[in-house]
Amino acid sequence: MSDLMLKLRNLKVIFPNEAGVLKAVEGIDLDIHRGECVAVVGESGCGKSVTALAIMKLLNSPPALMRVDELQLDGEELKDYSDTKMQEIRGKQIAMIFQDAMTALNPVMTIGNQIDEVYLRHSKMSKKKAREATIMVLKLVGVPEPKARANNFPHQLSGGMRQRVLIAMAFATMPKLIIADEPTTALDVTIQAQVLNVLNDMQKKHQMSLLLITHDLSVVANMADTVYVMYCGKVVEKGTVKQLFSTPHHPYTVGLLASIPKLSDSHHHFVQIPDCVPHPMFKPAGCYFHPRCTHAIDICSKEMPPLVSVEDGRQIRCWNCLNQMKGESDL
Amino acid sequence: MSNHQEPKNVILELKNLTVNFPVKGGLPFAPKKWIQAVSDVSLQVESGETFGIVGESGCGKSTIGNAMVGMVKPTSGNVIFKGYDLNLLSSSDFKETRRHMQMIFQDPYSSLNPRFTVFQIIAEPLFIRGGATEEQMKERVVELLKLVGLSENDLYRYPSDFSGGQRQRIGIARAIILNPDFLICDEPVSALDVSVHAQILNLLMELQDKLKITYVFISHNLAVVKNICEHMVVMYLGKVMESGTTEAIYNNPKHPYTKALISAVLDIDLDHSRERILLKGDIPSPINPPKGCRFWQRCPYAMKGCPDHPAKTVEIEPNHFVACHLVNGFSNEEITAGLDRPIGEELGI
Repeated sequence: MSDLMLKLRNLKVIFPNEAGVLKAVEGIDLDIHRGECVAVVGESGCGKSVTALAIMKLLNSPPALMRVDELQLDGEELKDYSDTKMQEIRGKQIAMIFQDAMTALNPVMTIGNQIDEVYLRHSKMSKKKAREATIMVLKLVGVPEPKARANNFPHQLSGGMRQRVLIAMAFATMPKLIIADEPTTALDVTIQAQVLNVLNDMQKKHQMSLLLITHDLSVVANMADTVYVMYCGKVVEKGTVKQLFSTPHHPYTVGLLASIPKLSDSHHHFVQIPDCVPHPMFKPAGCYFHPRCTHAIDICSKEMPPLVSVEDGRQIRCWNCLNQMKGESDL
Repeated sequence: MSNHQEPKNVILELKNLTVNFPVKGGLPFAPKKWIQAVSDVSLQVESGETFGIVGESGCGKSTIGNAMVGMVKPTSGNVIFKGYDLNLLSSSDFKETRRHMQMIFQDPYSSLNPRFTVFQIIAEPLFIRGGATEEQMKERVVELLKLVGLSENDLYRYPSDFSGGQRQRIGIARAIILNPDFLICDEPVSALDVSVHAQILNLLMELQDKLKITYVFISHNLAVVKNICEHMVVMYLGKVMESGTTEAIYNNPKHPYTKALISAVLDIDLDHSRERILLKGDIPSPINPPKGCRFWQRCPYAMKGCPDHPAKTVEIEPNHFVACHLVNGFSNEEITAGLDRPIGEELGI
């Protein structure tokens, strides 16, 4: 398909160390279409941030070892690009919004200079032109008095403003793909609502593709078109937001959705998933989720279920769901 | 509960609590600046209930928590625990009282000493109190470990061996070893994974049923507070905006800030898209907060009188208090002065 913006096939990332091999990402396929917002959801340690860095080819090797069958951005194969060549891609065609704006921004440079840098590096503008463009983009993301703000240092801005600056920086060159790694986790609820609004507007207006990495399912529900649920380095379920939130199939997705407290509930007991995420060095045999799964059957502890496609683009990795579907098709 | 006549069994009361912190630096003879973390907060926590404190970062909710257990000295006002003013007690009496009030911290990674074993961590309060032999301490710690869902085998392991959820369980065990009646939970789940939130919250609820502890639950997660708290206060920049029973506040939020806060909570429910109120701007600095209503700069309904006239707290229905000019109205003289007009009027907005 021509409107496939990112095509990622069989991405594997491992971190070898003295104690053994830590498998962070174990074979992930990811498709992002033009103008689509794809969310990768999972808890800490499930490999979602590593996936994001791998797409940007920002993982340091060593310690990380990365292998991928295909990594195509708008038809361009990035797999074998050298670091120098990737520098042309990063910032211009793929941009990233980081979680913690205070550490992502340079504390001793004004934010204007930091955004100017993007233009100077990627579009051969004069300094004056670059500053004009900077002020434009700051205005776009809703920074009040962009001209004065451009001369501020990061510490002079509030958390929400800093996050806007990061968004402005990512959108500066109008890249094809934007990766947002937990863009609102560090923010308060009212500020989170503002920032998500800006991100959503910008993405829709400029028909950009957005890869949203988050652990917050409520952000996903409000932003994404397609969702990948990750657990321990593997995709366990994929589907559109509607499919996933209305009829979750995988027990992990079901558990995650049920365990989120809602404003509409009124009870004293919270639905919980037992136990906790296994250490990435010591993943259980068979399906990684089986020790926490209430529906685990014999085969779950022996064999990893395959990721199977079901109706319209939906994918599931669960023996129970597979058996159920087989049963239905036999009837 | 909403019955007004019922005698309240108040375990902790704050009377006009104000906490200011001096700002360091500045010129030698310049007037000293103060961060007004908490200003003039009064509230009552009933015995056996869960009391919620809600607000965004910087609104003073953690400072209130610290002041409740005497970790921060109030600039003015009183903290009264079981009838005793904490700040008037002698240091030995204070130590004795403090045994009955404990705290659970937000970050289970930094609140446990990495060089202590689980036994040392949990037994430390017992050790400080004294009067227990090693055997007794061990017995008690094992009992608590089981109560919070860990096992005896974990006794001599270090915090680094545990996941975030398990560490928080250790923190909870440490907090309840001296059988406190009063426990402050300062954002107990916000540093944990989503799937573990429910486990820890359920554990806290179970413990409350078993041990009859009063909780003060500090959180920014409105959905959690709604489900577990009986009474709550909504704070903004050190002031209480709205307080009362949780039911009343959620069913009938009156203050514009409460409304915005509730509407800003993202829901995973796709079918019921609610109207979202987006607030303009950021939380102002608590160094020079507005003289009148502290919320007026971000309030969509701000009136001319709001910046200069503090809003009085008024009980609009039994057990539901609001501090807002919009709800309480202005006096007749103030209305003739035009204080109730929208603030953007003369600017032509």
